Amino acid sequence: MSAGFFDNMAPTARRSLVVTAIFAAIAVVIYLFCLQPCESQLARARRTLAELQGRQSQTNGDLRSAGTVKKDLADLEAALEPYEEAMLVPLLESYAMRAKTILDPIALGAGLEDVRYTDEPFRALPLPRPMPRQLHTRAAVKVMARGSYQQAVSFLLRMERELPLVSLQQFEVASQSTPEAQSVMFVLEWPAKGGLTRK
Amino acid sequence: MNSSSLHLNLLRPSERLSSSPVRMRVMLPVGAILSCIGLLVWWGVLLTQLVMTKAQSAGIEEELSAKSKEHSEVIRQRDLARELKLQLEQLEFYRAGVRSVAEPLARLAEVVPLRVQLKQLSFTPPPRQVLQPPGMKAPLFGPTENVETQKLVMAGLTTKETPVVSLMESLEGGFERLVTHERKINSFRQDNAEAEGRKLLSFEVEYTMPERRFAK
Repeated sequence: MSAGFFDNMAPTARRSLVVTAIFAAIAVVIYLFCLQPCESQLARARRTLAELQGRQSQTNGDLRSAGTVKKDLADLEAALEPYEEAMLVPLLESYAMRAKTILDPIALGAGLEDVRYTDEPFRALPLPRPMPRQLHTRAAVKVMARGSYQQAVSFLLRMERELPLVSLQQFEVASQSTPEAQSVMFVLEWPAKGGLTRK
Repeated sequence: MNSSSLHLNLLRPSERLSSSPVRMRVMLPVGAILSCIGLLVWWGVLLTQLVMTKAQSAGIEEELSAKSKEHSEVIRQRDLARELKLQLEQLEFYRAGVRSVAEPLARLAEVVPLRVQLKQLSFTPPPRQVLQPPGMKAPLFGPTENVETQKLVMAGLTTKETPVVSLMESLEGGFERLVTHERKINSFRQDNAEAEGRKLLSFEVEYTMPERRFAK
């Protein structure tokens, strides 16, 4: 029936229909093989551009804040310096031996005798949130000696003056035969580097 | 006289002309051609936009690559600053818990009455830290409590109760860094030791020390 309809058409109308059909087909081809791929490519390129623009503005913002970051870092390093100086670092893996090198002159000055140093279990410090990568801890060293109460207090007074970040965790004075030769025990705490929370 | 006219239609339907001034056989191909041209123009516009977008992206990438070294240094410094800030915060917890008791301990010797002989003075050990609570697989990095309380124990000999009471009264003022007002008499009894021909009394008093607070 459609063939009959086509045959009955005037030649000009038939030509018109063929031309229309050909151009419509060309239009479909242009849409499918040129426009659509181009549109998706453009969408991808726009997404990439938006990401890059985001990174660019982030980078520029970071670079603008470089001065502030540098200043903050310098301030923090300055604030940490007293702690770094006070920190107890092991001497040949022994914290007690490091403490001995620091405390022997003070103990000698105070008149304490027979001073012995031993490592005590460390105590953990509360954690800030979020946790830092490098933790710090309370390194403890037990100091036992012989001397009078006054000598023990004199040792503590000088230690507190010279080592303001060392804290007295435990203390014991027990009387022996004479008041000049009592048994004295201190457990002293230093800040020290602890473990890592992540690699 | 009636006359009837005869109408003969010799046109085939396809040869019939439309009364409309717009002829479909012209408009259809023109429309199709115009559609093709329109699509080509659209494609051209998209291609131009694509080229421009890619050029812009390339420009930004080049800029980012030029700034990458400087930027990574800023990032490194910023991360380091963040880490140091947290480390400083933890060390400030430590500083807050530092105990300074040498001066009150020095004054303590001055307030001990003559008739009291201290045999022992000690701080009890701090409470044990629980870093592996029951039911937890991995140990904690830090304690859950940030306050520690210890006791100061004084034990000695005396001749009667009044010197001990006097010592306790003396400790009520000016020794805030060493003891609080919370105290407990652990024992007060007759001892085997003798002085001046009479039996001495032994005592043990326990004071709660001020809290060590490891917090800002």
